[in-house]
Amino acid sequence: MNATTASTTALMVNQSDCPEVEVPVPLFFTIGVVGLAENFLVVVAVICNRNLHSPMYCFICSLAAFNTIASLAKTWENLMLVFAGVGQLDQRGSSETKLDDVMDSLLCMSFVGSIFSFMAIAVDRYITIFHALRYHNIMTMRRTAAILGVIWTTCGVLAMLMVRFFDTIFIMTCFIIFFLISLVLIGCLYVYMFMLARIHARRIAALPTSGSGRGRWRRQRWRGGTMRGALTLTILFGAFVVCWAPFFLHLIIIMVCPLNPYCECYRSLFQLHVVLLMSHALIDPAIYAFRSAELRHTFRKMLLCSDWR
Amino acid sequence: MSDFHNQSQASARRSDYVWQYEYYDDEEPVSFEGLKAHRYSIVIGFWVGLAVFVIFMFFVLTLLTKTGAPHQENPEHAEKHHRPGSCLADNGSPQDENERAFSRPLLPESRSFFHFYISEEEQGQGKCKAEDQGGEESEERQPLQGLVDEGKSDRESAFLSHFNIPNFVNLEHSSTLGEDDLLLCEPSAMLGSQSRSQDAHRNIN
Repeated sequence: MNATTASTTALMVNQSDCPEVEVPVPLFFTIGVVGLAENFLVVVAVICNRNLHSPMYCFICSLAAFNTIASLAKTWENLMLVFAGVGQLDQRGSSETKLDDVMDSLLCMSFVGSIFSFMAIAVDRYITIFHALRYHNIMTMRRTAAILGVIWTTCGVLAMLMVRFFDTIFIMTCFIIFFLISLVLIGCLYVYMFMLARIHARRIAALPTSGSGRGRWRRQRWRGGTMRGALTLTILFGAFVVCWAPFFLHLIIIMVCPLNPYCECYRSLFQLHVVLLMSHALIDPAIYAFRSAELRHTFRKMLLCSDWR
Repeated sequence: MSDFHNQSQASARRSDYVWQYEYYDDEEPVSFEGLKAHRYSIVIGFWVGLAVFVIFMFFVLTLLTKTGAPHQENPEHAEKHHRPGSCLADNGSPQDENERAFSRPLLPESRSFFHFYISEEEQGQGKCKAEDQGGEESEERQPLQGLVDEGKSDRESAFLSHFNIPNFVNLEHSSTLGEDDLLLCEPSAMLGSQSRSQDAHRNIN
């Protein structure tokens, strides 16, 4: 009696009210491949064009490199999952699990690395504003190379540690706390910069004018400019939060409430959250790299196969 | 990571058929009966909260733009004193030089945040020759559009060769920035002396 009821309940429970939402594999592949192509182009463009060998472009290049690795690892993992689903690969085989570990560590590395790159870009912009006169003394190319070396080594080590010990709650908590701290830091840096920029723009708008009409027009243009600045900042920060937060909430929920039905319904959307994460790698170049006229110029040269330098 | 998740889910499902009590299973929920709220309430609540946060952030930022300028009169007076000076002294007035110094990008490849400064200088020079001819148009357009023209680099290098940068810093001036340019372009290079800029230029190239 007990066994039958248990088994029937198990059968019923198996088709839970919140079935896992499946994202079609072609969508995964499209996002992965497009993200890979975009970011790889950015990396190649920054390396090839000597004008772009400045600290800020180095950080953007590093961000694009991490996104490339993330897209590559995710696409590869999808390929392997497709093959495993079809039956070509044994999901429990030792080489497959090792490969899976490698890909997971690459993914972790790229996640942590892109967060570090965001922080580096924000700090670089911060130094540009607050220590503008000493910028070239503070941020030399050597220091940039050292910072990038530290970032990449830390990410590699962290990735290996994370994948080995991901089951422990401590590592996951560290990961989540790291994400939250970097979110707060980046947010504060950008809002501070925005506020100072606003003060400056206000000063420009307050310049003496020959007529009151011009003054009003200036103020309107100033407001228009700061409005665009607010929009840009919202997009920058909003995209980061919208793409990363669902995944991290998933991690928190795994730790905190694995048995709760509400949490189960949230966890069923796991694949959607991974798609969001991958699409962040896709929109990052649009937010950071493609804003620069020089980089766009380099792209046009590269894609139209005209003279490389 | 999804592989790991799938594997653990699959193994948990397999163990379902062995265990008698499904509430020991930590992959499937205990029961979906007696739920007070909607199943996806966490999902909905999370996304609504996220949307509210982003919109709130945007409104806070735009609200900051709409607040008035309390010290608008002082910079006006200050500028009034220095404007005629720049014309008369042939770009020799110290205040003007400070502004120019701190606003100039000293590397051709670093596109400037401070193009409005440069066009102000141009306008200042132009004023010496003629009254402002609507140079204000270009002045306003540059900072507020945020993206920099490639052709500016030639004019910048021409500027570079024409005047000296003073060695002292006015922190107030140097710490402000056009936010559009800030967020859309790369940072400008600000140096206290021309020689240092040339060295840096050589380093980067």
